Amino acid sequence: MNHSEIEMTQSRPLSNAKLAIFILLGAETMLFVGLIGAFLVFRMGSVTWPPISHADINLPRLVTGINTILLIISGYIMFQALRAVQKDRLKQLRNMLIVTGVLGLLFLGIQGYEWIQLIGKGLTLQSGIFGGIFYVLIGCHAVHVFCAVVWLTIVTAKAITFKYSGTDHTGVATCTIYWIYVVALWPILYILVYLT
Amino acid sequence: MYKWLPFPENISTFGVGVDKLFMSIYWLTLIVFILVTITLVAFLIMYRHRPGHKAAYIEGSTKLEIIWTTATTVIVFGLALLSYPQWNKIKSPTQLPTPEVIVQVSAKQFNWDMTYPGPDGEFGTEDDLELENQLHVPEDKVVHIQLTSVDVIHSFFLPNLRLKQDALPNRFITVWFEAMETGNYEIACAELCGFEHFGMRGFLTVHSEADYEAWKAEMWPPQ
Amino acid sequence: MQENEKMSHENDNDEHHLPANGDNGTESHDHDHDHDHDHDHDHDHDHHHEESFISKYIFSLDHKMIGKQFLVYGLLMFFVGGGLALLFRWQLAYPERPIPIIGASQQYIDEGEVATGADKMWERIYESDKEEWLEVNMPSGVITPAFYNMLFTMHATIMVFFVVVPILVGAFGNFLIPLMIGTRDMAFPVLNMLSFWLAVLAAVIMTVGFFVPGGHAAAGWTGYAPLSADPQWTGVDWGQNLWAISLLIQGFSSLVGSINYITTVINMRAPGMTFFRLPLVIWSLFIVAILLLLAFPVLSSALALLIFDRLAGTTFFTSTAEGGGDPLLWQHLFWFFGHPEVYILILPGMGIASEMIPVFSRKPVFGYKSMVYAMIAIAFLGWIVWGHHMFQSGMQPSLGAFFMTTTMLIAVPSAIKTFNWLGTLFRGSIRFTTPMLHSIAFVSMFVIGGLSGIYMANTPVDIYIHDTYYIVAHIHYVVFGGSLFAIFGGVIYWYPKMYGRYMNDTLSKIHFWLTFISFNCTFFPMHILGIGGHMRRISDPTQYEFLQGFQGMNIFITMSAFTLGFAQLILLFNFFWSMSRGKVAEKNPWNVNTLEWEAPTPVPHGNFEQIPTVFRGPYEYSVPGEESDWIPQAQPEHAPATGGD
Ligand code: HEA
Ligand code: HEA
Ligand code: CUA
Ligand SMILES: [Cu+2]
Repeated sequence: MNHSEIEMTQSRPLSNAKLAIFILLGAETMLFVGLIGAFLVFRMGSVTWPPISHADINLPRLVTGINTILLIISGYIMFQALRAVQKDRLKQLRNMLIVTGVLGLLFLGIQGYEWIQLIGKGLTLQSGIFGGIFYVLIGCHAVHVFCAVVWLTIVTAKAITFKYSGTDHTGVATCTIYWIYVVALWPILYILVYLT
Repeated sequence: MYKWLPFPENISTFGVGVDKLFMSIYWLTLIVFILVTITLVAFLIMYRHRPGHKAAYIEGSTKLEIIWTTATTVIVFGLALLSYPQWNKIKSPTQLPTPEVIVQVSAKQFNWDMTYPGPDGEFGTEDDLELENQLHVPEDKVVHIQLTSVDVIHSFFLPNLRLKQDALPNRFITVWFEAMETGNYEIACAELCGFEHFGMRGFLTVHSEADYEAWKAEMWPPQ
Repeated sequence: MQENEKMSHENDNDEHHLPANGDNGTESHDHDHDHDHDHDHDHDHDHHHEESFISKYIFSLDHKMIGKQFLVYGLLMFFVGGGLALLFRWQLAYPERPIPIIGASQQYIDEGEVATGADKMWERIYESDKEEWLEVNMPSGVITPAFYNMLFTMHATIMVFFVVVPILVGAFGNFLIPLMIGTRDMAFPVLNMLSFWLAVLAAVIMTVGFFVPGGHAAAGWTGYAPLSADPQWTGVDWGQNLWAISLLIQGFSSLVGSINYITTVINMRAPGMTFFRLPLVIWSLFIVAILLLLAFPVLSSALALLIFDRLAGTTFFTSTAEGGGDPLLWQHLFWFFGHPEVYILILPGMGIASEMIPVFSRKPVFGYKSMVYAMIAIAFLGWIVWGHHMFQSGMQPSLGAFFMTTTMLIAVPSAIKTFNWLGTLFRGSIRFTTPMLHSIAFVSMFVIGGLSGIYMANTPVDIYIHDTYYIVAHIHYVVFGGSLFAIFGGVIYWYPKMYGRYMNDTLSKIHFWLTFISFNCTFFPMHILGIGGHMRRISDPTQYEFLQGFQGMNIFITMSAFTLGFAQLILLFNFFWSMSRGKVAEKNPWNVNTLEWEAPTPVPHGNFEQIPTVFRGPYEYSVPGEESDWIPQAQPEHAPATGGD
């Protein structure tokens, strides 16, 4: 209890906005823990996977694998966008953001196309738990990618109108954190749902 | 057993152990509760605010902290050790005693379907006997109940046998008991299963050896 | 105390940006406080500019107003939830007998002869062609079994999600966190308002459920699938959907709220307010915010799957002979959320009691740090015990041993808390104010409830008492004896700061004693019912021969429950009456150290004239050698001990 304590460092390691995003990610993680838990329960409870009723279904591993790589690249570029704005390179920021967004949309597009194929082959939400949990789990992630793209669009719009600077870019930073989270989540789902 | 506690009469072999365990916890928690309450009341009286009385400045005591932490830990693990074998004896699927009688019980909204194997001793054959809500078993014999449900989750509750087990749709769960006393008892459904849940009542009849044979002779269709 | 935490707030006192992040994020709420940004220096003089009724009382961004909104909302919902309990308690005491006042007379039921005003109403209802709501749910005033199930389902849902959590977390969390850590508002005031209005929306949807065709959710507050997953089992159609949707919205509300709380506690503490100088109630709210943050999404995932099952034709929870879903999956997901949830219901109560006991004993809290660690331990252990609700569910019996051990281990941190409260009383100078009475009741009722938990944690014993009134007794001893006594105490204790007036003490005392006695008369006998094997969730115990001997006790319980309900009317009256008529309170009526009492009463926008600097822990009472028996946290050292100002 002395005054030197009070004069100790006064800076917060994280701004409120960034901290809040990290906290939000905790909740997001638990949402996926719930769904992945359900997936694992079904997976373990079934003798074969896919269950016999869906033995003819082959999930498109290769295309999705390529899609996975696309998404990971988008995460890298998003990170570069953040680096760019930190160095006050606003043009670069803008371009990077646009590329990221396009990659994100591409990911969604490919996935949507896949879904149409799968539904054509008879894998639907109602066709038993295999289809059910597939669409819910992957769909939940897709919704997250979609939200991230919407957010990114707003950030990009602001970047184009030069609302950010090297000292003022919390908007970019929080969006980057979220984007990278959504990207990092995907390989886990890919391995769980498609590869095992 | 203990007159002041309105337990329904226990008639099962493992029920004795359950009741004993209950009573051990009863005494343990009673003592803990009395000690806490006496201390609380004593402190409230002794240290009530009076003119001229000043509170002491005590921030805590590591020694006391350690004492009650270890004491509780020890008691709790002791209790757990007492319980493991009991639980395994009653519920473990690997420790089921060999059955002398087997009955299939299938729960449905809002009845218990009891299926007896019939004279051939096999289920799924023509001579099976099906009764609604009537469970007949012999005294002093290990009975296996193969429990399932055709719709939602129910719970097979035999208060006098200290037995309860949920019945799951499309799963078979085997529970066992051995009744020590003849007589008529009630079976209840203990898991909410719909609007008529409260009326999902069954009846258990424990026969003496001779009575059971007589019942079989009467009820089980001849071969 | 030796501290090496980082100070977390700007030192210079004229830096008072409300949303403490000057970095101007994308979130729009950063801009909603410009009126505060503009007048940093002379804060409290500039707030006379017109604040309309709507922005002051309805869409308020001020954490104190939002806290009060949560409080009023929670209290009102308490009467809804309690009213439902009284309805089904009537049925339990007098099965098949019409409820008094609105029920038809026996004569009318037997012979069709109109005798009373109520009979006339029923006559009209029966004669109309429409299917009237009353006719469906309680013909002639007799509660149907299906309606009974709706009643206790909604009783528990409302009490847990719309009463205890909103009051403990929403009301106390909002009101206390910024004041007690010494900041001007929450980190995200707009999100804070959103959290409240989402909660209201959820409550509205939950209430609407009673009036949709098929009636309200009737699968228990635990909503066990498959019962809840398919309308064919219960006849409930949109009721169950609305139940799930409402809880999803409630989940968003909690999510937003907990993000706010956690950020605020981590980032916005006043200079000198290190973590180990936080009042225990703030610790408890902080821990609870983390629990809410992590637990609720799991429920949301389960609810989403349930909605898919009900509306999109999936079979996650219904198994068919050909395979399909898992009937235990719901239970695992629900209880993985549900057990942390019950600690969400008790931890803030513990925090509140830990605030009041030292104040009214004029002593430091005994073992401050172990109190903190015990709460962390409870919160942590809470995640690995969910299986104790599923001992008889058909879950692998070998898991029983694990869940039993972890469950009983929670007795250890609970013991630490209990004995530390006793230690705080030891050699104190105890003042029996009404909040103190409530705290003492809290401690002893929590001990009863906790000890009955030990029976149930014991797997062999649980075989017998699972799903009996023993569980019901346990529930109410911990949530009513625990959470609600803490809430009552807390309301009376902080009322002077909230409304600038005292609650009427005579009424408070009458309310306390009536509640305390009738609470025990209501819920203690339930242990005995449980030992008798009385199942829960049955609308008519007289069906069973072995339960018929207990009918007298059921009647006694119902009588006590009505008394208990009556006692709460006193509280309600006192609460609203005292807002305008109560005795005006001074700034720090109980001589408390913590920061909220440093703020002027009524607390202005921005809370403090100057952000206080904290010099010591929150429980410095009766320090030897000091003249006054309390030293406010913000009082500089060696200053005359007068208590601020
Ligand atoms: C605020 C809410 C709250 C709290 C704090 C608790 C606390 C505890 N609960 Fe409870 N519980 C509920 C709310 C709560 N519970 C609800 C709502 C249900 C029913 C849900 C439903 O089915 O609808 C339930 C159901 C429930 C079950 C399931 C029963 C069943 O369905 O068969 C079990 C089983 O283990 C259990 C155990 C415990 C234990 C061991 C504690 C422990 O945390 C208690 C620890 C405290 C103490 C032990 C007392 C203090 C300690 C001492 C004085 C030290 C000395 C003690 C010893 C040496 C033992 N609870
Ligand atoms: C915070 C939680 C909380 C609280 C405060 C309460 C409060 C009360 N509870 Fe409840 N209860 C639960 C949580 C809670 N309960 C839970 C989780 C369950 C399990 C549900 C399940 O099985 O799914 C349960 C179940 C439950 C049952 C078992 C039902 C059954 O299994 O069939 C009973 C039975 O008596 C009961 C009674 C009461 C009573 C009498 C009160 C009293 O304290 C209420 C006091 C009364 C009032 C506050 C009302 C005052 C209002 C007026 C006087 C106005 C009158 C208006 C009208 C009549 C319209 N509760
Ligand atoms: Cu079957 Cu309850
Ligand atoms: Cu629990």
